Amino acid sequence: MSGSIISVRNASVRLNDHTVLEDISFDLERPSILMVVGPNGSGKTTLLKLLLGILKPFKGTVEVLGLNPFEDGKKLRRLVGYVPQKDKISYETPLKVGEVVLMGTLLKKAFPRSISKEDIEAARKALAYMGMENLWRSFFNELSGGQQRRTLIARALASDPALLLLDEVFASLDFESQGNLLSLLRIFKENRKTVVIVEHELDPIIDLADKILVLNRKVCAYGDPWDVLSEERLKPVYPCLRSLEKEGRRILILGDKHA
Amino acid sequence: MVISMLDPFVLRAILGIFFASLSVPISVIMLLRGSLFITPEISHAALGGAALGVLMETFFPGLGDPFPLVLIFCVATSIFVCRMGKGEQQSLGMMLSVSLAVSVTLYAVIRTYLPIDKRMVVDGYLIGDLLLLSDTTVLSLAAASSVATLATIIFYREFLYICFDMETAEALGLKVGLYDSLLFAISAITVAVVARAIGVLLSVTLLIIPAATSRLLTKNVSRMLVASFFISILSGFAGIALSLGYNIPTGGAVALVFILFFLITYFMGRIHHSRRLDGFLP
Ligand SMILES: Nc1ncnc2c1ncn2[C@@H]1O[C@H](COP(=O)(O)OP(=O)(O)O)[C@@H](O)[C@H]1O
Ligand SMILES: [Mg+2]
Repeated sequence: MSGSIISVRNASVRLNDHTVLEDISFDLERPSILMVVGPNGSGKTTLLKLLLGILKPFKGTVEVLGLNPFEDGKKLRRLVGYVPQKDKISYETPLKVGEVVLMGTLLKKAFPRSISKEDIEAARKALAYMGMENLWRSFFNELSGGQQRRTLIARALASDPALLLLDEVFASLDFESQGNLLSLLRIFKENRKTVVIVEHELDPIIDLADKILVLNRKVCAYGDPWDVLSEERLKPVYPCLRSLEKEGRRILILGDKHA
Repeated sequence: MVISMLDPFVLRAILGIFFASLSVPISVIMLLRGSLFITPEISHAALGGAALGVLMETFFPGLGDPFPLVLIFCVATSIFVCRMGKGEQQSLGMMLSVSLAVSVTLYAVIRTYLPIDKRMVVDGYLIGDLLLLSDTTVLSLAAASSVATLATIIFYREFLYICFDMETAEALGLKVGLYDSLLFAISAITVAVVARAIGVLLSVTLLIIPAATSRLLTKNVSRMLVASFFISILSGFAGIALSLGYNIPTGGAVALVFILFFLITYFMGRIHHSRRLDGFLP
């Protein structure tokens, strides 16, 4: 045990004879907000699956919340909230919003997965937090894209996770929901919980991140935001990178192309 | 000609349709899973199973009805396809074709070596006749469809989670591979039951139409399951009545009613839809 929240050592992941992650090492020592950025196909989603123990590294070790995801997967998953990428959801299956939110809680229970009053209360609370309490009975696949995202975030929150994994959540949220999510993440941080946010753009949460991991099959950079976010370190990953400076503020525009 | 409802042939036909319908709701879940299209193809495995079963029975008399082997063939093919389908659609399609080729070849080859009465048993799986079901067949249909129904009810929620969001289900610890295989296995039981009841050639009507129609009727999944059962059983009964009344083969009559039912629902839905739109136009 390393005492870290997340500790990955020399981990490599292969999918269909294709090395998708190579020699990944990083340590997240305290409960904090980790932002993972990288272009499309750089292995961000794969990294989340590695942390969850869904994918095994063929080399190296992974430890999350002091647990080995492959041996204590069950224990670990009880502590986790997960919001998948948008394209992983089937819009053919007409579940209601309430059913979707309850899914997060029920999947963590043992088989009959009976619904208790507390489960429903927690689910409603999480939904209310995302400003959607009156949509409990609506069909998920009839909501707007932003509402769907918020439902999925509520699903991840409903089981009060110690570790929240968000896969490209910000991009499809409208401005107001982005703000809501940001304040939510702030509360998370105050409550000493950990959030791993995967995005292919840096913008929205740059102020909030404690650590940034720039990924492109390998770890290109890892550390405090202001150390990592220099043009020299990002240029190899984002060739279309531009930097704008005005009145003392600097924005990095990444442009999403493979390196 | 007056045929009583209580005529044993008619009674067995009715029971056959009842049990076939009872197993049908899993098709709704396969439809939501986006995999219903494989079931008519899986049904061809029934032919291989039946041929092999009958062949074994000629060597070891007393083995009885080939239905258990038909079940095994369908379930094995279905799970195999499910496992292969993890990769790309293309390899799924290829594996499906290969396993079907094996089954159909088994059927074609073995059939030629069988005495005429045994041939009829095997051919019963190609073009079934509801009016020729035996007591034991009805019993085995009852057993198989009960298993399918129970499993559908018990694992309903897990199946829906897989259909809706396999990624998160897996992330939160659901054994998605296992449940997915189970879903395909149950669906294969339905395929075997339906193939036995109305034959492989027409099985596509019972496997696809009740599920597809139920989706046109409601948005609620549990209602879809119930609706698919009722659509199936009502069309089946109407088909039997039609067959008895006009002396048409039962399988064909049943299939005909199913197709009619689907078309009516489809066009009613379109009319309803377009009228609803009309209301919004200036
Ligand atoms: N099941 C798989 N089999 C083979 N390759 C895969 C599989 N899943 C993802 N990949 C490949 O792994 C790489 C990383 O994928 P992913 O982690 O989804 O990237 P990101 O989330 O950063 O867009 C991509 O090149 C993708 O093509
Ligand atoms: Mg991704």
